[in-house]
Amino acid sequence: MPALFSEGFLLGLSTGFYCLVSCLPLLAPYLLAEGSTAWRFNFGIFLEFLAGRFLAYMLFALLASLAGQAGRGALPGWLLPLSMLLCGLWMTGLAAFRVSAGSGPCPLKGGVNPFFKRLPLLLGFVTGINICPPFAAGFLRLLELADILKGFAYFGGFFAATSIFISPVMLGTPWVGARVKEIGRLTLLLAGLWYTVLGIRGLL
Amino acid sequence: MDTAATPKQRGVAAGIFSALVFLPVLFLSSLIAGREISRFYALAWALFAAGTAFAISYTGRVSFYRRIFFSVSALAFLLHFKFALFGASFEASSFKAAPFCHIAMAPYFLDYLYQQYLAFMSGGWRLWGPLTLGAAWLFITLAIGRGWCSWACFYGGIDDGLSALPGRPLLKIGNWVFKVRDLPAALLVFLLLASLAYMLPVYCLWLCPFKFGESFFDGDPGIRRVQYGLMTFALGALVLGPLLTKKRIFCSFLCPFAAWQAFWGRFNPFRISAEAEKCNGCLRCADSCPMSAIKCVPGGKAEILAYCNLCGQCLDACPQSGLRYTLFGSVLPAAGGGLAARLFTAESFFVFSALTLGAVFSSLWAPAALRDLIKLLTSGG
Repeated sequence: MPALFSEGFLLGLSTGFYCLVSCLPLLAPYLLAEGSTAWRFNFGIFLEFLAGRFLAYMLFALLASLAGQAGRGALPGWLLPLSMLLCGLWMTGLAAFRVSAGSGPCPLKGGVNPFFKRLPLLLGFVTGINICPPFAAGFLRLLELADILKGFAYFGGFFAATSIFISPVMLGTPWVGARVKEIGRLTLLLAGLWYTVLGIRGLL
Repeated sequence: MDTAATPKQRGVAAGIFSALVFLPVLFLSSLIAGREISRFYALAWALFAAGTAFAISYTGRVSFYRRIFFSVSALAFLLHFKFALFGASFEASSFKAAPFCHIAMAPYFLDYLYQQYLAFMSGGWRLWGPLTLGAAWLFITLAIGRGWCSWACFYGGIDDGLSALPGRPLLKIGNWVFKVRDLPAALLVFLLLASLAYMLPVYCLWLCPFKFGESFFDGDPGIRRVQYGLMTFALGALVLGPLLTKKRIFCSFLCPFAAWQAFWGRFNPFRISAEAEKCNGCLRCADSCPMSAIKCVPGGKAEILAYCNLCGQCLDACPQSGLRYTLFGSVLPAAGGGLAARLFTAESFFVFSALTLGAVFSSLWAPAALRDLIKLLTSGG
């Protein structure tokens, strides 16, 4: 098991840059839009995001292992564009409502169920199911292993290594002010529209 | 500049000022243009720059004459580099290397750093050549900062020139515009991230209205249509936007380099500052600002935003003469009377820097465009 964890970790280390560039257009605008000058608060967002990613990875490890056991060696073609579309719609909606938070149906207004405040978790999850090339490589290995526990160990290592690459996104957050938040929201809107278009195009 | 001086004093000061612009422009333009075409064209261009300097100094109307210079430079760029793509009348370029597009530089910066890192790690030291572009940008930023967008950008001149054509705006832009005033900054952040994610110049592929060719477009017909649509939208913002609103819509809201320069321009000392005690809250400055960079703050006073690119339009518009060029918000101490008082001002220093830099930079195409034009006229098309 430790050997498989190391194997996943090394895959993550060698390909982590691709994970960084896949996650950055989503996480960075979100942190700018929703972060604050308090480092701890931003770190909380970051951890929630990672937790969402971790859940998505483990879910994939489970599915891939089951698929491997069942002898199915391919992912459905609609999965990637659908995850992109979900990501895009989520970001667009969030940005649009937050940009006009004064009058819009902002999901983060006071009094809502704390469950709905777990947005970074969800964002991390939908980012996690965006399949980047190193992720796909790990997925193929899991199909081959066809063992759920081994799959968890392998993707656990992959997750740990790729998270190192994503962590520099925290560097810019101590300067988050009201204006930077506004810029972050507009960026979130643009990135959301971008992913929505790519998702729709992939599904069509 | 002191407009209370006599016409003779103004003439002498303007003459000295224009000579100060003329000499470096002539020397450097001759070096640049003289590599491939006659130095006569460089001389003509330097005289034009000196004439602009004289008019600005003599009349005190910065933006009016700046705009003429700026628009002519942009037209020359279109004539020499862009129209050459379509017709045999113009040579493709009289130079071996076209100027690198600075608008692409900003959103592609992270990719550039990554490529430089790869070059560094692979021992490809020679691939560090483009650092000269970075050095040029640093020099420009230290010399004129945000003034680039109103004095030297070969694309901004189109937007700026068109915004001067209508007598009054057909569409009046209200205060809502300030809600999306940070759009270029957001666009820049998004483009930096998306370009890095896809290792592609996303701005050039999807939004740039200046690409006069199809080689940039995607092979997929659906994506191609979206790219055409966005390019048409940007072209509309560039051409129709200023004609309808008298504002530089493309430069204000869609140019990532404007946001880039607004950020880095704070390290440049030149500013336009409003004197609060002179401001009567008429907001003519805000109406006249082509970049939507002046807004009314509580209390009815004008506030100049970081997007101001020192074009000087508000100076002409203010009935109280309450706006002026400063160095970090301060005026220079009075340097005696007469000539010194007229020449040793923040405005003179800025106009000298911006005009000289703009004229030297445009020597890459303006003298050649003049040559193209003469060739076209003498050959009868």
